[in-house]
Amino acid sequence: MLSILAADETSGVPENPILPATYELFWGAIAFAILYLLIRYVLLPPVQRVMNDREATIQADLDAADAAKAKMASADSELADQLAGVRAEAASIIEAARGEAEAERERLIGRAEREVTAMQEVTDSELAREREEALSSLRPQVAQLAVGAASRIVNRQISVDDALPVINRQLDNPN
Amino acid sequence: MFGLEYPSIDNLVGWPTYFGDDAFWAMNKIGLISLLAMAIPTAMFLFAKRELVPTGAQNIVESIVEFIDTQVVLPAIGPEGRRYTPLLLSIFLFVFWGNIFEVIPTFHMPANARMANPAILAIIAAGVYIGVGFKYHGFAYLKDTIWPSFVPLALRPLVGLIEFLTVFIIRPFALAVRLFANMLAGHILLVTFGVLCITLWRLDALVVILPFSFTMLVLLTGFEIFVSFLQAFVFALLTAVFIDSSLHPAH
Repeated sequence: MLSILAADETSGVPENPILPATYELFWGAIAFAILYLLIRYVLLPPVQRVMNDREATIQADLDAADAAKAKMASADSELADQLAGVRAEAASIIEAARGEAEAERERLIGRAEREVTAMQEVTDSELAREREEALSSLRPQVAQLAVGAASRIVNRQISVDDALPVINRQLDNPN
Repeated sequence: MFGLEYPSIDNLVGWPTYFGDDAFWAMNKIGLISLLAMAIPTAMFLFAKRELVPTGAQNIVESIVEFIDTQVVLPAIGPEGRRYTPLLLSIFLFVFWGNIFEVIPTFHMPANARMANPAILAIIAAGVYIGVGFKYHGFAYLKDTIWPSFVPLALRPLVGLIEFLTVFIIRPFALAVRLFANMLAGHILLVTFGVLCITLWRLDALVVILPFSFTMLVLLTGFEIFVSFLQAFVFALLTAVFIDSSLHPAH
């Protein structure tokens, strides 16, 4: 403000407050021309280059992040596939093992059943043989008793040898 | 009545020469501010480092370049307008620094409150957008301007005359006068409140009013900083819009 108030000198002061003085036009044109040329050819290009480089770097980083993300997704998918494969393989192994176990169980049961049957047959044959032996061992005594009883009933002596075929037939076919 | 001595308009906008008297190369405050409006942005760009991670002046310079790109070039012209970024950036910086000296102590004068710089910039802007029209459309640019085919035949002479005056005279004239008048009005406002403060300080009885006047002076100073930026932005944006209208006359 003081500088305004101090501008009371009249020498070199433009007469018209609106129309510009020639020297103002001259320096304005010179200053703007220099500024434009400097910005156009010297000052702006390196700034734009740095900004473009930064943008390219950021874009490259973003692209790399996207690529890493895609790679991670791919690895995830691959892992999921592998897990599914492993699970399927494990299931098939378990199924096979279960089948084998079932077969083994069947085989063992069959063998046990066969052994039981064989043992039962042996036991039955032994029982039959022992029964047969018991019957054979008892048969003379039974014949003696039967003949004795019959002799008493008919009141005559019956020979054991004569009666033996009848007794044996009765013993063999009790009905 | 109150002892108020308001300076004449010559004292508000006229500045004595430092050297050269009335020669075309004579230097006064307006010429000095014009040179500073060239030198300061140049220094800013020179001091700015060129690093991938910006610091200090590089931040400011890149912000300005990005501002011109995203707020002037792209909205007004589009990506093809980037070839005009140096011109629009130069206009913005030259106008802003020419304006901001209004609030810098010892200067207190916007260079654009004189008609010289606004006129030069308006002539350059007109030269560029008219040149762009002729470069991309040849003689059809002039023909479509003075004989617009989208207007009914009966109205073409009238609309053509209006268009011709608009494109070749009114647009550059309005560009220059808008900037000049805004800065001159702001300058006069600041001088008015400055003079009022000085006068009230000298008048014992009215000194109680001084705080109000001083507050207004401070607020208006802040407002003029905003206006300095706004006028630079408007000038650059309108230049871009006019260039776009020459590139795409159908719009």
